[in-house]
Amino acid sequence: MKENRIMVSSAIRLARNYEDFPFDLSTSPIQAEECVSRTANALTLSGVTGFELIRLDGGDERALKALVEEGLISGDLMRTAETAAVLLNRADSVSIMINEEDHLRIQAVTSGLNLQTAADRCFAVEDALSRQVRFAYDEELGYLTSCPTNTGTGMRASLVLHLPLLTRAKQMGTVGQIAAKVGLTVRGEYGEGTEALGDLYDLSNQVTLGRTEQEIISTVTAVGRQLMDMELTLRENALRDDRLRLEDEIYRAQGLLKGARLMKLAEFYPLWSSVRLGAAMNLLDYSLPLMDSLLSMAQPNHLQSFYATLPEEQARAECVRTALDSGR
Amino acid sequence: MLCDECNLNEASYTVSLMMEGQITTRHLCPECMARVNTHMNAQTVKTLLSSIMAAITGERVASAQEEEEEDDLNSPACPRCGMKFSQYKRSGKLGCPACYEAFREQLRPMLLKIHGRVQHAGRRPLCTEAAQRSRTRQEELSREMALAVSLEDFETAARLRDQIRALAREEKEAQP
Repeated sequence: MKENRIMVSSAIRLARNYEDFPFDLSTSPIQAEECVSRTANALTLSGVTGFELIRLDGGDERALKALVEEGLISGDLMRTAETAAVLLNRADSVSIMINEEDHLRIQAVTSGLNLQTAADRCFAVEDALSRQVRFAYDEELGYLTSCPTNTGTGMRASLVLHLPLLTRAKQMGTVGQIAAKVGLTVRGEYGEGTEALGDLYDLSNQVTLGRTEQEIISTVTAVGRQLMDMELTLRENALRDDRLRLEDEIYRAQGLLKGARLMKLAEFYPLWSSVRLGAAMNLLDYSLPLMDSLLSMAQPNHLQSFYATLPEEQARAECVRTALDSGR
Repeated sequence: MLCDECNLNEASYTVSLMMEGQITTRHLCPECMARVNTHMNAQTVKTLLSSIMAAITGERVASAQEEEEEDDLNSPACPRCGMKFSQYKRSGKLGCPACYEAFREQLRPMLLKIHGRVQHAGRRPLCTEAAQRSRTRQEELSREMALAVSLEDFETAARLRDQIRALAREEKEAQP
């Protein structure tokens, strides 16, 4: 599929709060605990299975950080670790984060361009819960959230896009301005501030009130497709006008990833970006799912759980080399 | 000792503040200290600007503190959690769902600025399974309708539209 060449993953997140509790429960452990048990019980009562309850307090810290690296829970959830929990369905990549900024953050992640599937999974969970519990809702302002920037649908729809050539053409600033005009925002997926390590960007809606979920999904998808077309055009041009330079970059990056014995995370990102570009342009024979899975596999806590005895940089080089040798 | 502000990092600064005639001492970490400093600088600049403005126009410009006091006068604290509007303005977060009702009038212009519209559209909580099934069906039908429109099959699209309307009407009538 053409989309997979650019779109790495899609995610939907719904913010929901219980009517009868204050938003911030980090200093009220009894209510926070009731929030956890109420959610878990509601899920069980409505016959939903496949979710495992994990409490952050006293949990295996490395395993939890690995969940953050996989994008299954947010880094913010770790900040309220004493009262936070997550109901996790690994098979479908659906998580219900409890006691984060809002009482519940229902989230689903899928690979490629698939916002609708992710949304349907979130809605199924929400529907099941709302048969048992009452969420704070107002006819004018929609679902009420801790921060008014999320009120309304309480929904954030986001796409992760790999845009190496748009980045090099210094077009991302313009892209951000255009996105802002239709109520969307573009951020680097990894890195601080304006940095976008691995040329990976997160495109998501800023506006949550006054538009339906379907409108939000359509807008994010439409803008995502536009960015995809712009990137693909630049790739075609590069192949036509500057093929040698492009191939040189991609094969060099492959050589480094396959030959290195020690690798820092900061070194990994740009090399990964070039090799993924090569795989997406059929210059290299690696599957895109393999390339995309490398992104979380090469993160520090993930490496630790698989290569416990090796130092991080050595583990990363080993992990990347093994993956690329397996090819697909 | 942990920082009084964030309760996360080790405190390395001690700040004494004169508030309402009483001296309060707070222990802060470098991060929160930096935030307090920027905040104070911003306040100083604002006060300075307003005094310049006042000198030019001969009018008194409300200071930030007066503005906050006015906010609190216009709206009493949230009856459920006791939060004041000035507290929200400082933290960007509301205290509880009832705050939205308590501060509705002040929130409306802010929400309009953020979202461009202030009327919710989209999903609403449905308690019964029958109502949820009906909505799932409506969503399916509207996707089919969008497909029909894209294929320029307007006859089918019109039929689907009528079906969706009928389901929506039933849903409304079933509401308590």
